[in-house]
Order: sequence, then C-alpha cells, then structure tokens
Amino acid sequence: MSQRIDPRLMAEGRRTRGVLYFAIGLGVSAALLVILQAILLAHVVRDVAFGHANLAAVAPLLWALAGLFVLRAGLSYASEIVAFKASGGIKSYLRETLLSHILKLGPVPAADEQSADLAGTMIEGIEALEPYFSRYVPQMALVVAVPLAILALVFPVDWISGLILLGAGPLIPLFMVFVGYRAEAINQRQWQKLLLMSAHFLDVMQGLTTLKLFGRARDEIGIVARISDDYRKTTMAGLRVAFLTSAVLEFFASLAIALVAVIFGSRLLHGTIDFYPAFLVLLLAPEYFVPLRGLSTHYHARMSAIAAARRMFDVLDMPLAAAGTALLPQMSAVDIVCEDLQFGYGAGEPVLDGLSCSFQAGQITAIVGASGVGKTSLARLLLKFAAPAQGRIIINGTLDLATVAPESWWQNLAWVPQNPRLFHGSIAANIRLGNPAADDAAVREAAKRARALEFIEAQPQGFETMIGDLGQGLSGGQIQRIALARAFLKDPKLLILDEATANLDLESEALVLEAIAELAVGRTVIVIAHRMAMAERADNVLVLETGRVAAFGPPAQLRDVDGAYARLLQAYEAETSEAALCV
Amino acid sequence: MRIIWRLLVLFGRDAGWMTGGILLASLTILANFGLMTLSGWFLASAAIAGLAGFAAQNAFNFFSPAAGVRFFATIRVLSRYVERLVTHEATFRLLATLRVWFYTKLEPLAPAALQGYRAGDLLSRIVADIDTLNLFYLRVYVPFLAAGFAALVMVGFFGLFSGPAALALAVGLAVTGLAVPMLTQRRGNAAGAEINALNAQMRMEMLDAIQGMGELLTYNAAPVLQGRVAGLNGRLIGRQAEMSAITGMGMAASGLLGNLTMLAVVMAATIKVSAGTLGAADLPLLALGSMAAFEAVAPLPSALQYLGQIRAAAVRIFELTDQQPTIAPPPSPAPEPVNFDLDLRGVKLRYEDNAAWALDGLDLHIPQGSRIGLQGSTGAGKSTLINLLLRFYDYQDGTVSFGGVDLRAFSSEAIAAYLSVISQRSYLFHTTIRDNLLLAKGDASAADLWHALEVAQLADFVRAQPLGLDTIVGEAGVRLSGGQARRVAIARAVLKDTPWLILDEPTEGLDPLTEQAFLRDLKPVLAGKTVLYITHRAAGLALMDRIYRLDSGKIT
Repeated sequence: MSQRIDPRLMAEGRRTRGVLYFAIGLGVSAALLVILQAILLAHVVRDVAFGHANLAAVAPLLWALAGLFVLRAGLSYASEIVAFKASGGIKSYLRETLLSHILKLGPVPAADEQSADLAGTMIEGIEALEPYFSRYVPQMALVVAVPLAILALVFPVDWISGLILLGAGPLIPLFMVFVGYRAEAINQRQWQKLLLMSAHFLDVMQGLTTLKLFGRARDEIGIVARISDDYRKTTMAGLRVAFLTSAVLEFFASLAIALVAVIFGSRLLHGTIDFYPAFLVLLLAPEYFVPLRGLSTHYHARMSAIAAARRMFDVLDMPLAAAGTALLPQMSAVDIVCEDLQFGYGAGEPVLDGLSCSFQAGQITAIVGASGVGKTSLARLLLKFAAPAQGRIIINGTLDLATVAPESWWQNLAWVPQNPRLFHGSIAANIRLGNPAADDAAVREAAKRARALEFIEAQPQGFETMIGDLGQGLSGGQIQRIALARAFLKDPKLLILDEATANLDLESEALVLEAIAELAVGRTVIVIAHRMAMAERADNVLVLETGRVAAFGPPAQLRDVDGAYARLLQAYEAETSEAALCV
Repeated sequence: MRIIWRLLVLFGRDAGWMTGGILLASLTILANFGLMTLSGWFLASAAIAGLAGFAAQNAFNFFSPAAGVRFFATIRVLSRYVERLVTHEATFRLLATLRVWFYTKLEPLAPAALQGYRAGDLLSRIVADIDTLNLFYLRVYVPFLAAGFAALVMVGFFGLFSGPAALALAVGLAVTGLAVPMLTQRRGNAAGAEINALNAQMRMEMLDAIQGMGELLTYNAAPVLQGRVAGLNGRLIGRQAEMSAITGMGMAASGLLGNLTMLAVVMAATIKVSAGTLGAADLPLLALGSMAAFEAVAPLPSALQYLGQIRAAAVRIFELTDQQPTIAPPPSPAPEPVNFDLDLRGVKLRYEDNAAWALDGLDLHIPQGSRIGLQGSTGAGKSTLINLLLRFYDYQDGTVSFGGVDLRAFSSEAIAAYLSVISQRSYLFHTTIRDNLLLAKGDASAADLWHALEVAQLADFVRAQPLGLDTIVGEAGVRLSGGQARRVAIARAVLKDTPWLILDEPTEGLDPLTEQAFLRDLKPVLAGKTVLYITHRAAGLALMDRIYRLDSGKIT
C-alpha cells in the first residue's frame, strides 16, 4: 500500500520541485562539510601530537575550522528555511485543492465521512505532510550522499576500514527491515490496543453519571487499573521485539567504531600505518551512521504522512458527478415534475424505486412517510446534491435538471434543512449568507418576518452578536428562525424545507410554523413534514412508502380514503389527543 | 514549578522504575563517551608506541584498551536496549497510576464537576491530557536528569586532564542544552500561540464547510468561505515560516556551539601538550570526547517543548480534580425510608451564588404509587429537579423528605438504590449488551436478562444478532437506533426494579411513530411504581395520573 503513496506524494512535491531540490542541496552540502572538518581536525591533532606544533603553528588550521563551523551553521539554517518554503507551498496547494474538491463533491459524500475526521484530514493531516517534505525527504538524500562520500574518502586512505564501513552500512537497513517488519506488525497491534484502552477510559468518563446511578462507579477503579496493567504487560512483550530495530543500529555503529579502533591500534603499534589516516577514519566512522540514525527518527514522520496522505487521496479520488452547464434565467415560477426516479447509496438497496410525482408552482406540497422511505433522498435529488441513477426531473415543462449548472439552479431556491447550520460569525452575517450586500434594514425585515427579531435584539450585541460567543447557545427554535430569515432575505421562487418542529418547545414550534406559513406565500414550497399538522395545512400531500408514491392529493381528499395517509394520521392521533390533555 | 512538583509526588509510587530508567539512560550516554575517548587515546598511544621502536611496542599494553573499547561498545548496545525497555515499563506504570488517581478523584465530583464537559470533545481532551501528563517522565524527566548526570561525569573526567577544557565543555553543554532551547522557545512563543489560534479558526471554518455544505452551496456562499480559508492558510504558513526560521536558527546555533566547544577544548589541550604538561595521546581523547558529549543535550530542546505542553495539561487536570464536591458526604449508614412518598416544600436551588434560582420555591408532593407528569419548557427547572432528587446538587432553601427522611441524609449512591432513571442521556457503554444490562444488577441470571429484554421489547432484536447477549454495541459493534438505546434503558430499569421510576424526556429525539411504540411498551413497566415523568412535550403524559406544569422553578 505505502509503496503507491510515496510516489504520489513526491508527485505532489514536484509542484515545488526547484525549491525542494535546493533545500536538499543545501542540507547535503552542510553534511558534506563534516568530511572537510574531519580532515582539518585530523591535521591539527597530528601536527600537535606528533609534529610538536604549538598553538600558533596550528592557528591557521583552527581559523579554517572555525570558518567551516560557521559556514556549516549558515547552510543548515538556510536549508531549514528553504525546506519550509517547499513544504509550505505543498501544504497550501493541497489544502485549497481538497477544500474545493469536497465542495464540488457536494454534501452527500461529505455526510458519509465523519465530519470531524474530514476536518482533521484538512488541518492536522496536511500538517503531517510537512515533516515528510522538510525532514524525511532531505534525510533520504543524506542517507545516500554522506556514506558514499565518506566511503569515497576512506577507501583510498585505508581499504580495510573502508570494507568495514561498507559492510556495516548496508547491513543496518537490511536488519532494520528484517526486524522492522515484525516490529511494524506489533506496533500496529499495540496502537490498536492503545486506542481501545483510551476509548475505554473515555467511555467510562462519559458514562460516569450512569455508573453512579447504578451505584457501580467505584467498581470501575479496579477495572481501569486492570485494563491499564494488562495493556502494559502485552505492550512490553511487543516492545521487546520492536526495540531490537534501534538495537541493531546501535550494534553496528558501535561495532564498526570498535573494530576500526582495535584493528588500527594493532597496525599502528606495528608501524604499518600512520596516525593521520587512522584518526581521520575514527573521526568519520560515527558520522557515517548519523544520517541513518536521523532516518530512523524521521521514519515515523513518514508513517504518519503516509497515513494522512492516504486519507487525502481517498477524498481526492472520489469521482465528481458530471454537472450540467445550462444557465437558468431568473424564474418567476417553478414547476417540477419527477419521472421514474431511481436512487440508492453505494451498492445498497435503492432508496427511491421508480418514483414519479409533481410539485406545482405556487403550491405547498408536503412529503410524509415513516423514516427511511426516501423523503430525504428525494429532497437531495431536487436540490441537485445527488443525481438520480435513472429518471428525470423536469423544470417548468421543458428543462431537464441534469443539464442545469448547479449554481444556476441554487440561485432560484432556498433550502432550510432539519438542523440548520449557523456559521462562525455574527447573527447578521448568518442572515446575509446568500446576500452579503443586503442593507441593515433588509436584514432586520427578514428577521422580523422570520419571527426572530425579538430574541436577536435581546442579545447583548443584537445583530452583531457572534454565534460563538452565545454562551448557552441558541435554542433549536431560534436557530430555525435565523435559517428562515436567511430564506426571507433571499426571496426565492422555490423553497425546500425540512420541517423540524418535532423537538421544539410548544412556543417555539408555533413561531416557526407561523414564519413558514408567511414564507410560503407565492412560492413553490416542498416541505418534508414530520408532523401531521404541517401536512394538513399543505395544498397537496405526497405520501411515500418504500421509495414509491403511496398516495398524492389534497389532504382533505386523502383523509377520507382508507389508505396510506389515513393510516399515518391514525398513528399520529394519539399524540394529538395528548396535546389536548395538557393545558 | 509547583505543578511539576505535584506531578512528581503523584509519580512517587513507581520511583524504582523511574530511577532505573534514568541511570540506564545516563549509562548509554557515558558508554558512547567512553568508547570514543578510549578509541582516540588508544590510537594515539599505539601510534606513539609504534614510532618509539621495538621495546616500546613490546611494553605497550595492547589488550586492556582493546578490551575496554569492546566493553564500552557492548555496554552501549545493551544499555540502550534495556534503557528503552525500563523507561517504557515505567511510563506504562505511570499511565495506570495516573488514570486510577484521576478516576478516583473525579468519581465523587461527578457529574457536577463535569457539567461544562458534556460535549464529547472536551471530555476527550481531558483523556488526551492524561496521556500527555504521562509523557512527563519519558520526554522530560529522563532526558533532563540523564543529561545532567552524564554531563557531571563527563566534565569531571575532563577536569582530570585540563581545567580549561572541562570549563569549556561545561559551558558548551549548558548553553547548548539549556540557554539555546530556552531562548528559541521564548522567541517562538508568540508565533506558536498564533499558530494554535489560526489552526483552531481554520478547523472551525472547515467544520462549517463540511457540516453546513448544503447551505453554503445553495446560498452560493462557498467562494466566500474558500477565500477566508485561503486567507487563514496564508497567515498560518507565514507564522509557521517564522517558527521554522526560529527552530532552524536554534538547530544551527546548537551545532555551531558544539563545534566551537570542541575547538576550545582542542586549543586548551594543544597549549598543555606543547608545554609538555599533557600527554600527546590525550589530545585526541579530549577532541573525540567533546564531540561525543553533546549527544547528552541533543534531546533537550524537544524536552523543553514537551514541558510546556505538559504544564498546560497538568493545569487543566488539577483544576478539575481540585474542585470541591457539591454535596457534603452524609453520615453513614444510609437511612431506611419508611415509605416512598416524596415531599418538597419551598425548595430553592441555584448553581452558583448570585445566579438566578433554577428552582424557586418549589412545592411538590408525590405520594407512593402515584404517577405524576411534570411539563415545562427549556429552562423551567426540570433537569434541576432531577439533579436534586439524585443528590447531584444540594438545595439551598426549603425542605425535601423522601419516605419521611430528610433527603440530605442520603448520598447519591444511597438514593440511587430507590430510583431508576430512563432518559435520553442513559449511557450505553461500548461493550456487550450483557455487560450493559449487568450494570443494573450484577448478579442477574441469563433468564433475568432475557426477561428484562422481553419487557423492553428488545429480545427479538438481540436474539437475531449472531452473538446474542454478547453483541458489542457502539462504534466497534452494532449501532443501536435511538429507540433501541432507549429500550436498553427500560431493560435496565426492569432489572434494577426500584420502587421509583423517573422518566426524563424519555422520547426526546425519536420520530413520532417510534415514540408511540416506545410509550406503548413502557406502560407495563410502570405498574406498581411511583412514577415521575418529566417532559417539555405532550407525548406520553396520557400515561400519568396527574400533570403539573413547571415554570421558572415553580409549579404553576
């Protein structure tokens, strides 16, 4: 899996290729200066220890060393800045692309994803790519460049130690992969377990009130302790293997240094080699392993980048439905006919199965039915959030909705969903959502007609109150009314709304129903009704049963026929009679 | 600093493992230091002996240093491995200690202390905070103490050869390990805070975009939001660039300081060698030793960063656990009520001093065996009454008696023995259906469980699951619909079989058809019990004998 992600990520990286390569070049140059530094240092030590040079004699070499140190620091600083420039560009590009792709996909696929997950992918997920480009990729270059350069220097100086280093170098990744495979599997399992354990703790915290109600809260102390302890024991068993990866690295690095030292020691003693090459190799031997050590620390940056990238590519790979291009004129009335609509989600059963119906201009049509019969799906098709698998939606007798550009269709309608969303910003900005240029008087008028004026003005900052600062928050009914004010301000010819009065206070419900009634005047209104009171007030009722139309007509007519509508009325009747009980 | 001290006290129990880990971490650093210094000295000494002729060659003890080199290499490998095992063992022990400590502290405070933490993400932040605190040992304590200990040994060792060299090393280590990271962090603070704020803002915009997409699209407001996100992203990248420049500067400075320290050590040694007061072989020893020594301070910048996060997490956690219980524990043993009448007279309750009264002179009499409906809109005091009855909050004025006994004589555990609550907030644990039911009655037999499921009309559903009672509910298993989850609450109430039943908006959030079926099945459960049915709606009130209306904390 991950093999496919790396090249794709690098392909994204190519957008800022020049900058990225420049950053890598700077990093590699800084690392290669280490070799020069070692040569100079070895000269200093030889001259002092064996050439009887004093401080003044080696001063030029020391100055040169100091210069190298400064140069190296400068290069590493520059490479850091340039590497961020590269990864910053990639992050901005991906964030913009992802957001616009999600918006093009529309609300239906987004609703299937956990919204917090999706937001996480676009914030933390994209951030996780930064170390991939600014650390892991440059480190990969170092892992190749630095050992090769050191070998190139060491072999001509002393082929024996060259062989030792050459032998140890490639063995490390080999063994790390060997042990790493097992360790990776163990890591994954441990990670799952850790999540489970954290989830259990969260579960206990969330259910603490329930536990107390059953007098069981104290018992959990023992369970929390036991689960944490179990986790420790199994995890430690796994870690004993997982930590072998770092032990392997340590083993070869220490072994190589010890070997170089012992072999040189014996050759130096017998005078078969000079001190200078021996010391130079000893200085370079630890540096030989530094990039590998760095790689193993940045490796988990790669793992999390890969995981994040996979989620990103999953979203980017979701195909966009072909959108229409026809532009609608500003319509004075909207009349809709649905012909034989088929629609389902994924490979599941069709939700709408050959549904045909019509919504007449200037009339209120209520869609009723038990949950799961396809009310919401029908609304999604009418809103062009999804396209029917089969069948057509005809606007004003001639135009197939499939050919219409979505933005152009949306210009002509307003939608009030069951749980309207208030966006980050002021109440006024929320009402102005579709009409940012509207003046204060218009916003006020819309709020008034939506029966929202009173409570908005009761807020400390009135219309300028920020949604996030509301403390207790707005009640469901108040949110509904702000959403209705949006629709009033837009003044569309078609209104699609999901009546959500089921969970409102009685007072709120009355106000929301009043506002809906006023908004409906002179428009084509399609309302998903959850209560029969709403349906009874409609011009027409569309009763759905398992994806098909069970009945259609004015409520007064349907009421008297022994059919689907009458059955629904009966089921709701109990509630109506209870409402009468309560004064 | 006080917070760090409190953390250390908390961790006291596992002091043995903790100290062991620190010693091993120091040993790992020192083994490498030993390997490098000895190798440098060994090469130079062998070369000197080799140049000095045959006699010197024979006199040179080759084997001890060669064995020493191998010894340090072996110790390095072993101690690194064992160190990681021991520090992780300690970390997991600490995690268990912390969780148990936190839970034990919080349990008596719940649910009042968690009132503001209802929302799931705040609670998960608390759980994440505990995980963060747990890193204190591994990421802060070990690196700092191991570096400190190893540095003392290494500087002391240098002191044996040259005072100035030891001084240079001490200064170099302190500046690189402490001063540079502190300066870097201070300079990065402003940018870091702004990065967090920008990230939070961007998260809000993204959630708006995803959750409100339908409205954004139909109101043609998406381009505006995209513009805002692009603006935020631009600012974020700008701040991050600043941050990366600061980090880069810190890293470059650390590298430079390490190298300059080595240069100073070499100069100090050179002076002594040319003066003849230091052996020639000690120069490479000191040069290599000074390079190896900086391994100790390498993890300190990130340790310092963790320290900031950990302190923030600790402040939040201690804030929570330092709260006082809202109810003073009543003297034990719990009293025996003579009957199950409830009587409230002139009861006043508010959550904070100077706040408005949530219950404002409430009079309510519920005789044993009656079924009382209590209707009121949001904020009328319905949940407050339940909080009072369950002894989650104390009342400030008036009298409440339960079965002829002052309610204040009951703890919330004691009163829970007489009351069952069915509400939309009845929590389903992410475990098996069996465990979720056994919660109500630990010694219930399988037959008891099935009976309760029958009454709750959930038996057919459970039987249809391949694992039956052992089906796991929640994210990892079968998702229950809102109606089914409510039925589990009924089954629990059946199992617990208390004289009192409180129905707290039991049908909230159910669609009308499901609601009807639920109320129908609830009916037999109410038989023979004293029932308080609290709701803001009309549904279900027909099952009650009397209905009162609650408004602004009083019966109207």
